[in-house]
Amino acid sequence: MSFRSRLLAGFALTVFVSVAAVTLIVSAVTRRAFERANDERTTALVAQFQHAFNRRGEEVVQRVEAVAATDISTRLALNLNRNAPNYAAYLSEAKSLADSQKLDFLELADSDGTIISSAQWPAKFGYHELFSLTGPVPKDVFLRQEDLPTGPALGLSAIRKVDVGDKSLYVIGGRRMDKNFMASLELPNGMRAMLYQKLSEEKAGAAVSLQYLIDPSGTLQQPDRVAPLIEHVLKTRQETTAIVHWSSDASDDESVHAIPLGGQDNQILAVLILGSSRRSVVELQQHIRSAALLAASVGIALAILFSRWTAARVTRPVEQLADAAREIAAGNWNTKVPVTSSDELGALAKSFNRMTGELLERKEQLVKTERVAAWRELARRLAHELKNPMFPLQLTVENLIRAREQSPEQFEEVFQESSSTLLAEISNLKTIVSRFSEFSSMPQPQFQSVQINDIVRNVVRLLQAQLQSGSRIPIECKLELSGSPQPIAADPDLLYRAVSNLVFNALDAMPQGGRLTLRTRDGPNGVLVEISDTGIGLSAEDRGRLFTPYYTSKADGTGLGLAIVQSIVSDHGGRISVRSQPGQGTTFVIELPRNLDKLPVTGLIQTEYEAKM
Amino acid sequence: MRKAMRNSVYNRLIRDVPILPRRFQCFTSSLLILLLLAAEALADNWTSPAAQLAAKIAAVTGPGTVALDFKNHSSLRQTDVDEIRRGVLIQLATLGLRFVNAEQAAATVQVFLSEDLRDYVWIAEVHQGANESSVVMVSFARPDAQLAAHEAAAMEVRKTLLWSQADRIMDAAILDGTPSHLLVLDSNGVIVYRMQDGRWQSEQFLAVAHSRPWPRDLRGRLILRKDHLFDAFLPGIFCRSTSSAPVTMTCYESDDPWPIGTDQYGLSAFFAPLRNFFTGVLVPGVGKQTTAPAFYSAAALPREKYTLWMLASVNGPLHMLDGITDRTAGKLAWGSDITGVHSGCGSGWQILATESGNNRGDTVRAFEFPDRDPIAVSQPADFGGPITALWAESSGNGAIAVSRNSETGRYEAFRLTISCGH
Amino acid sequence: MRRSGLPLVVVTSLLFGDVTSAATRPRYGGTLKVAMRAAPTSLDPADSSQPESLARRNLSGLIFDTLVVLDDQDRPHPALASSWQSEPGSQRWQFYIRPGVTFHDGTALSSGAVAASLRAANSKWKIFSAGPGIVIECDVPTPNLPGELAMARYGIAKRDGGKLTGSGAFSVAHWDPGKKLTLTARDDYWDGRAFVDSIEIELGKSLHEQMISLDLGRVDLIEVASDQAQRATTEGRRVDTSSPTELMALVFTNDQHSSGDLQQRETLALSIDRRSLSVVLLQGGADPADGLLPNWMTGYAFLFSTDMDVSRMQSQHRNPRQMSPWTLSYDATDPVARLVAERITLNARDAGLTLQPTNSVNADLRLVRIPLASLDARIALTNLATSLNLAQPTFNGDSANDLYVAERTLLQSRQVIPLLHLRFASALEGGVRNWNTDREGGWRLQDVWLGTGKP
Repeated sequence: MSFRSRLLAGFALTVFVSVAAVTLIVSAVTRRAFERANDERTTALVAQFQHAFNRRGEEVVQRVEAVAATDISTRLALNLNRNAPNYAAYLSEAKSLADSQKLDFLELADSDGTIISSAQWPAKFGYHELFSLTGPVPKDVFLRQEDLPTGPALGLSAIRKVDVGDKSLYVIGGRRMDKNFMASLELPNGMRAMLYQKLSEEKAGAAVSLQYLIDPSGTLQQPDRVAPLIEHVLKTRQETTAIVHWSSDASDDESVHAIPLGGQDNQILAVLILGSSRRSVVELQQHIRSAALLAASVGIALAILFSRWTAARVTRPVEQLADAAREIAAGNWNTKVPVTSSDELGALAKSFNRMTGELLERKEQLVKTERVAAWRELARRLAHELKNPMFPLQLTVENLIRAREQSPEQFEEVFQESSSTLLAEISNLKTIVSRFSEFSSMPQPQFQSVQINDIVRNVVRLLQAQLQSGSRIPIECKLELSGSPQPIAADPDLLYRAVSNLVFNALDAMPQGGRLTLRTRDGPNGVLVEISDTGIGLSAEDRGRLFTPYYTSKADGTGLGLAIVQSIVSDHGGRISVRSQPGQGTTFVIELPRNLDKLPVTGLIQTEYEAKM
Repeated sequence: MRKAMRNSVYNRLIRDVPILPRRFQCFTSSLLILLLLAAEALADNWTSPAAQLAAKIAAVTGPGTVALDFKNHSSLRQTDVDEIRRGVLIQLATLGLRFVNAEQAAATVQVFLSEDLRDYVWIAEVHQGANESSVVMVSFARPDAQLAAHEAAAMEVRKTLLWSQADRIMDAAILDGTPSHLLVLDSNGVIVYRMQDGRWQSEQFLAVAHSRPWPRDLRGRLILRKDHLFDAFLPGIFCRSTSSAPVTMTCYESDDPWPIGTDQYGLSAFFAPLRNFFTGVLVPGVGKQTTAPAFYSAAALPREKYTLWMLASVNGPLHMLDGITDRTAGKLAWGSDITGVHSGCGSGWQILATESGNNRGDTVRAFEFPDRDPIAVSQPADFGGPITALWAESSGNGAIAVSRNSETGRYEAFRLTISCGH
Repeated sequence: MRRSGLPLVVVTSLLFGDVTSAATRPRYGGTLKVAMRAAPTSLDPADSSQPESLARRNLSGLIFDTLVVLDDQDRPHPALASSWQSEPGSQRWQFYIRPGVTFHDGTALSSGAVAASLRAANSKWKIFSAGPGIVIECDVPTPNLPGELAMARYGIAKRDGGKLTGSGAFSVAHWDPGKKLTLTARDDYWDGRAFVDSIEIELGKSLHEQMISLDLGRVDLIEVASDQAQRATTEGRRVDTSSPTELMALVFTNDQHSSGDLQQRETLALSIDRRSLSVVLLQGGADPADGLLPNWMTGYAFLFSTDMDVSRMQSQHRNPRQMSPWTLSYDATDPVARLVAERITLNARDAGLTLQPTNSVNADLRLVRIPLASLDARIALTNLATSLNLAQPTFNGDSANDLYVAERTLLQSRQVIPLLHLRFASALEGGVRNWNTDREGGWRLQDVWLGTGKP
């Protein structure tokens, strides 16, 4: 994994964790805040509803007072004081008054509670009120169970007294708490009100009869869900709140307030059920959750992009440094790293550039030093090589001179002999000079597709001829070639020369005989050729200087063989290495890249190419 | 029994008995006596049903002690109730019952005096011990409603009751003479009554034959003649009586105009035979005026040089024809029937006009026309119901008014005269 | 026992009263506009599928004549029959047809047409034409046959296929069954042309709608609920009420099963405060009903008096727990019936009885309203018994006592509890003149004329 990837992953993880944590925290906090806000809203709605309810009650009181203030009531009260009530005259009065004041219930009764006129049950004249009219008249509105021909009903009632003479007239009016009443209440948005009527027909302790549940909206699908709530309120006589799940969809949930409503004698006559939809809250929460997820996703995406950018920004100088280092490693000593910042990386780049500059300087110094040393070595070699034949030449010439002076008779003979010697030595000198010349004029490889096994086999074929001459020491030659090596681009002649040089070196290293092994292998980037012997091996010092030109461990070597090998391998972009222990043999390993890109284009293309040139 | 009872009802019209014609005399004052006699006769009628009821009670209780109580559920007056009570008690006593108070009685008897549509229903509910009560009853026809005693109003318009009957009366006329005779025109014909023993006794019935149906608001007029006894005008029918005994009447279909004035101020007008009004065609006409709007009735008001004819038009306004112009009077509260009467009071002639009374009945009032607008010169005379006919007598000295008594449903014919008053 | 027919105009005058009114002679012409609650779909007087009602009688009487008419005192008078006679035993009767009468289509009224019409109305009688008259033979002695023939259902109609023609004062100009009826006066009507030219009758109008129409001047004549008559009068409307005629009663659907049931029925009868019903609920528009027939008709109805008797009632229901609840049905469209039913429910509750008002047809008790079919008490009682599904009354004789015994027998069956006799009321526009009703409240529109603006 690259440094940039790691950096990116690190950044991303950090951002993700941060965003997730923030999202969770915000979500929890907002949910709690919304719950609290919803509770407050519900409370406000309940208060608003109760306000509307109370206002309706005030309306009832006002209307009953209006009825009590009518001339009809006054006249009726006057008549009550004069003589027995004339039910016939007032039969429809209550109904008319109730209609005029939009009251559902209205009864006019005397102080004994005898109904004189009834709007809701006109036939009930002469009968007594269900409850006593003695005692102070309640000032406020109260719940009351009304007796109707069709059965009991619940009313929001008020009583007013008309005092004209000794006998008072009681005006008992109210509105029926039915579907219409409930529907007429101004309900805040998202709220619905239901009313459960506890009418006397129900037996005490009986299960809640949902037929008495008034749902003005008519949307109550599963009324049984509120039954436990009603039962609880009837039992405890306390206001209760619960969340009712109407369906699997949480937005259908309602916060339900069940409020007991009592009559005059503190008996619970009804349970007001206020359902406040949690839809808005739930939807808000869902929106926030969605928004948070979206924000987190966007944040993470942005964070990744930013991380990438940042990582790129951070790692680019490092990569440049790495590339530069790689360039330098490849020998491109002039590589420079651009300094784009003044931070640590800038300083690093500067240091790197300074370092490469110093390295280049040192290298040049070293090259100069080595070149001086090589020239010294070359001079020494040349001196040595040339001095060796010079010395016999000098002796021969001196011998000739001496012969002519000392023994002229023998001079001819000596001359003849000395001339041969002089010629031989001069030939020797020419050989030495041509070798040096040859080394200096090593040709550039001509790349073509080559099977490495073919080259090894050609070398072995030449070697076999020498080995079988019989005059040589016994050498075993072993071939371990790869099964189906990939062809490479190389100069076969140069490779042949390099491999044969190494083979002959190996043979030289085994004066007592031994085993020579040649191996070829396919590597990941090219091929490997190993030439192993079981010869005398190399010392550490020999291994260090092995490829130095003109260095030789042999008595008669020029020291140019391995230098040529290294030169050839290097010209092919490959590497040569040596493994050796003194007395245990030596193995040379040539690694050659495939170099297929260096193959020349063939045929016409090649012609065109050449034409363009 | 019920039918027998009904036939015995007092003063029932007997049409089948033909009587000889007599000369008639004026008779009005004995009517009151007549009514008193009738009341007396009624009292006599309780005896028989009382006896029947007593017999039925006694049949249930047998002789013994009873407690008796009476309750009146009928239209009987208290005096009658007392009378009946007495009668029943007497009858029961003769049947061996003794009357004690309830605690001591073997039986209690509750007598109810009741009535149904036609009959008196007298019921006795007899309780004996713990047994269920027994009910016995007798019923007998109620007499027709008694003639109400109408006193002549001491007003300027005097009305005198001539005759009362269930059938509708179109017109009536009194023939003075000895005895007096009364002609009554109804839808069936002319009935001749003779004053006898202080009562009008039916003498003769002269039927009117007709082929066309009568209009619903049937009108007719009797005109006393000098050369024969009378003419009778009915829609589409003209009848002429003979002059001497036996009086007969010949009727034939005729569209001849009806006299609408008096002997002295004569004017005739064509009557729509299927309706209840005059068509407006006048014969011979008022001066040059021979047509007028359709009208119900007319009244002549003689002036110095001409006679002003007033027509109560069908359309409402009162038209006044003086021979040249046709003026309409201002808005009047008059009814459809008017007539002119010569009283000698005031200007000599007054208009009698019907008006709606405050109560159920109509009224008739006298008016004069000094100028364009009428001036009431009398108090309104009340009638017990709507006035169905108002015609001037042939002499012009009085008028005949017929009203339907709202209480009894009977038609009553009155003679109206105007006294000069005080 | 031949009875000669009185000349017809006598009858007209006698029955219909005076035809003038308030000093003004009747005017001819104009259209009388009437609204009614009933919505009959057939005008056929013999159509037994239509409910018997005063409204139907009112309509029928305008189009169809009967052989006989009854006056307010139950006396028969000639109409299409000029005279009649019966043979001893009152089983065979002969009616002589008035000559010169024509149907609306101009054809003469023949004895054959009369016989055919009566056969359609009563299949039990043997009816055949005999010269200028018809002969009716009954299975049983029928002394009240003329009175019976005065009933609207015996209106004489000529049935030509589906076409119905009468001989009455009005012919049908337009008939939209159940909605509207327009009648035109006949000029050649045998009893004198009616005063108005035509009558437009809107059918199926609620009483409330009728009152509004009257107040707006759209109609001249409407029906008024019995309980509203007094109020309508107080409010200045012109209202006319009849004698109390229509019976309102509780009828038990089933026969009594046990003595307990009988006791419960008696308790219910005793519990009802009829006076409150009549005086308060009906505002005087009805009289407490003691018997089935009103007292003015029989003279003895008070003998059946069942005034609310608390002590007797309480002695009746010593064991209120054994009282089984009853359902009580009433005509929900009739506000009076609703009020009465509710009051009875209250009264019954006082007696420990539970009545449950219902609209179901299969109730234990029905609150019914039945109009008086005839002014003849026997005919009326027989019709009431039929309407109430009671056994037919038997009359042992012609006396009041026989009638009393027959009615008592019906009442003692405990199948019916009489409550009230309601008065019919009508309200009139001021221009309607010469308004008269018969004792049962039946309209006599032939005599009505329009006083203002309608010459």
